[in-house]
Amino acid sequence: MRRRAAVRTAAALALAAALTLAGCAADEPEAAEGPPDGPGVLRVLAGSELKDLEPLLATAADQAGVTFSLRYAGTLDGAEMVASGGADAGYDAIWFSSNRYLSLIEGANARLSTQTKIMASPVLLGLDQAKAEELGWTNKQVTWADIAKAAGEGRFTFGMTNPASSNSGFSALVGVAAALSDAGEALDAAAIGAVTPRLKEFFSAQRLTSGSSGWLADVYAAQGGVDGLVNYESVLLGLNRKLPRPLTLIYPSDGVVTADYPLTALASASPEKKELYTKAVNWLRSPAVQKEIMTRTDRRPIVPAVRPDSRFGTASLVELPFPNRRDTADGLIDAYLNQVRVPAQALFVLDTSGSMAGDRIEALRGALVTLTGADTSASGTFSRFRNREKVTMIPFSTRPGSPQGFTLPGSRPEPVLAEIKGYAEGLDVSGGTAIYDALRVAYEEAGRQLAADPGRYTSIVLMTDGENTDGSDYEEFERFYRALPEAQRRVRTFVVLFGESDVAEMTELARLTGGTTFDARSGSLAAAFKEIRGYQ
Amino acid sequence: MKRWIGVGLGLVLVVVVAVAVVWGNRDDDGNGGRELVTVRGVIGSEKQAFFDDPQVKAAFARHGLRVEVDVAGTRQIATSVDLGKYGFAFPSSVPAAEKIRQDRGAARTYAPFYSPMAIATFDPIVDLLAKAGVVRDSAQGQVFDIGKYLEIVKNGARWDKLPGNTAYPARKRVLLTTTDIRTSNSAAMYLALMSYVANGENVVSSPEQVPAVVETVGPTFLDQGYSETTSEAPFEDYLALGVGKTPMVMIYEAQYAARVFAGDGSIRSGMRLIYPAPTVLSKHTLVPFTPEADKVGDLLTRDPEFAALAARHGFRTADPKAFADLAAKHRAPVATELVDVVEPPAFARMEELIAGIERMYAGSSTPAG
Repeated sequence: MRRRAAVRTAAALALAAALTLAGCAADEPEAAEGPPDGPGVLRVLAGSELKDLEPLLATAADQAGVTFSLRYAGTLDGAEMVASGGADAGYDAIWFSSNRYLSLIEGANARLSTQTKIMASPVLLGLDQAKAEELGWTNKQVTWADIAKAAGEGRFTFGMTNPASSNSGFSALVGVAAALSDAGEALDAAAIGAVTPRLKEFFSAQRLTSGSSGWLADVYAAQGGVDGLVNYESVLLGLNRKLPRPLTLIYPSDGVVTADYPLTALASASPEKKELYTKAVNWLRSPAVQKEIMTRTDRRPIVPAVRPDSRFGTASLVELPFPNRRDTADGLIDAYLNQVRVPAQALFVLDTSGSMAGDRIEALRGALVTLTGADTSASGTFSRFRNREKVTMIPFSTRPGSPQGFTLPGSRPEPVLAEIKGYAEGLDVSGGTAIYDALRVAYEEAGRQLAADPGRYTSIVLMTDGENTDGSDYEEFERFYRALPEAQRRVRTFVVLFGESDVAEMTELARLTGGTTFDARSGSLAAAFKEIRGYQ
Repeated sequence: MKRWIGVGLGLVLVVVVAVAVVWGNRDDDGNGGRELVTVRGVIGSEKQAFFDDPQVKAAFARHGLRVEVDVAGTRQIATSVDLGKYGFAFPSSVPAAEKIRQDRGAARTYAPFYSPMAIATFDPIVDLLAKAGVVRDSAQGQVFDIGKYLEIVKNGARWDKLPGNTAYPARKRVLLTTTDIRTSNSAAMYLALMSYVANGENVVSSPEQVPAVVETVGPTFLDQGYSETTSEAPFEDYLALGVGKTPMVMIYEAQYAARVFAGDGSIRSGMRLIYPAPTVLSKHTLVPFTPEADKVGDLLTRDPEFAALAARHGFRTADPKAFADLAAKHRAPVATELVDVVEPPAFARMEELIAGIERMYAGSSTPAG
């Protein structure tokens, strides 16, 4: 008995380790391997928000003799990978929006060598101009308490990234919690408990979430749907150039949390790579490049010789204290996901056709089990089905199966998680692939759920390994979808590309519903599911 | 425990100049074509810019020396760095140097330059602190009263609740920004001066005095939340991001002075340098293990050329003239005479104090309920 438990534990740990390594963005090459090496190449594990620097970094080869080669990972995934030494072999340096969370992980600082800040961007609220005027926030000092009050009264809505997936959401959560807490010093566990009711007030107005800052901005530009966004100042300024009516940037007078983008050499890097790192840093901090960073990416320069220009306004930004303990940071994310945020309704439309037999159904079962708490890494813990969440499974083959709902309670979710695990392990395969009939069932079910509980954040995940073979086709589904009431049409479908998915049609489907695709054809299905959780 | 694991990996290798370049240009080194003797040292990060300075390298070359340095924290140098690889250690405090000298049986030490701890802040902040009684007048101008500061920290003072504060109404605690006490020497120097005050104006000299002092000074570190690991990072925030992020930061005077002497425009109007009362001196002390390293120590201490170069990097030297001349030339707001200076506790006491605060970081992990 005891021995079996030990074996299970070992297996769970191995799974967790594997998931941690695989936990990169599903549409990227595996981050753990690192990019190709070569003379003059600086291999950098980076946060995805740095993609906008790539054109500028490309000029470093000529100007500084440094070829930047970047691979991207999520904030928590990346932090865990670096702290465990998983980045040592494939990378020379890391570059995330902040090293603060990373440095709280036991043993992480020993992996890091020199850290050099490159630029800065605070996390702010950008609000539709008309709404900002209506709230009287255009010409006066606004505090987070003012913002939370208006949010609690339902006077505006906003979008923000998931704090467990993206640094902008995490920084905002830390900032809002620090500002709404009456203490003024860094938060601790007791302070989180005390501030939770006020956080609920603030986040009751959140109507859009996302795993990445960029996607959040893209969705806002394309679809609107909320009155504003909590995001980096740089993203909001960039977005304003695309919007017909710009967002008003609200600089809360009681403080912000600022990303400072430290390019950080890994302790494991060779002397040659460290020399290259020094060259890279000197180039990035040269006045000319600092100006380019400001002009091209709307981030604030970090060297005193280059002053921020007028785009950043004149407000003095008070920096709010950041927790100095990992359990405080994790406790805050946990409170957000399981107590504070608007609870989610997640519908999973799952292909159980004959072609899924063997490894594929095993991968699907494993991916779902991952979300029931089997993955004990931080990123795994934060992607599990959350307290208060309603999870609905709709398996399909030649015909849609009947929806099976699971509602997680506000505390002690373990029994329901065990039920979901049992359900996932019992999934079996046979028959054809009626994608669109199953999706119709999902939208009908979502409609019923929304009618019962309109405030919930509802989304659909479609996972299929092949083309539609039975029932209605894409055109029929599109007609059905377009005829739905608006509340149902707002339910996004996130599509997991797997096996022989029809990529063009699936991309079209995601676009139709305002969702997006996640590619699990080369990476792992579990990693794709974990990433999607950032969008639910 | 963590400290020990981190040490080997935490070392930063500073690549000075590729060997080929130095060898290839050795006729230009001004030493008549002799081969340079390489001396390797491990130093505190505050001196990295000095050793990287091409003029410093050229000066060493004229004496037939090439000095290569690795950077490590002063605590690490004293406790865990494998010093066998090095010709000298150059930590940033006397207690650490004294421990190394004893451990390694070195015959002597050199103290070529030093820098007092100081506070970089802004005019409106100084005015606010003056109203609150934390900044007071003294013979050397306005000083930052550490005793009064510890008092208001104990009372949980917040900027927006200071009387008459319209200049900086931030909803956050009045706290000096420091580096992480667990890794950084500048934070340890700050701890040293606070411990003197918290111990009733006496240098902490026995283990029995440690717990009470830790209890008094611990919150000045913990309540800040996250703090950076190197002294350059928070000073850079001060320079680039200003009063909102960093209203007041504990630094080495040399950091501020070097910027003023460089005339690079980074010190702008409204910025202020004041001294804590009392302050301590960070005495950069070289412990030589080889005859060549002895020569390095001797040159740094006695050669006016090196003194002048050190002063340009903001350090004060044995002959006060180099620093004083630069300060006069640039009208630098540095104290001409440091009056209220205390000695840091011995190395063992410092370790006990730091370990005590480390335990506070670990202890506050217990979740409420």
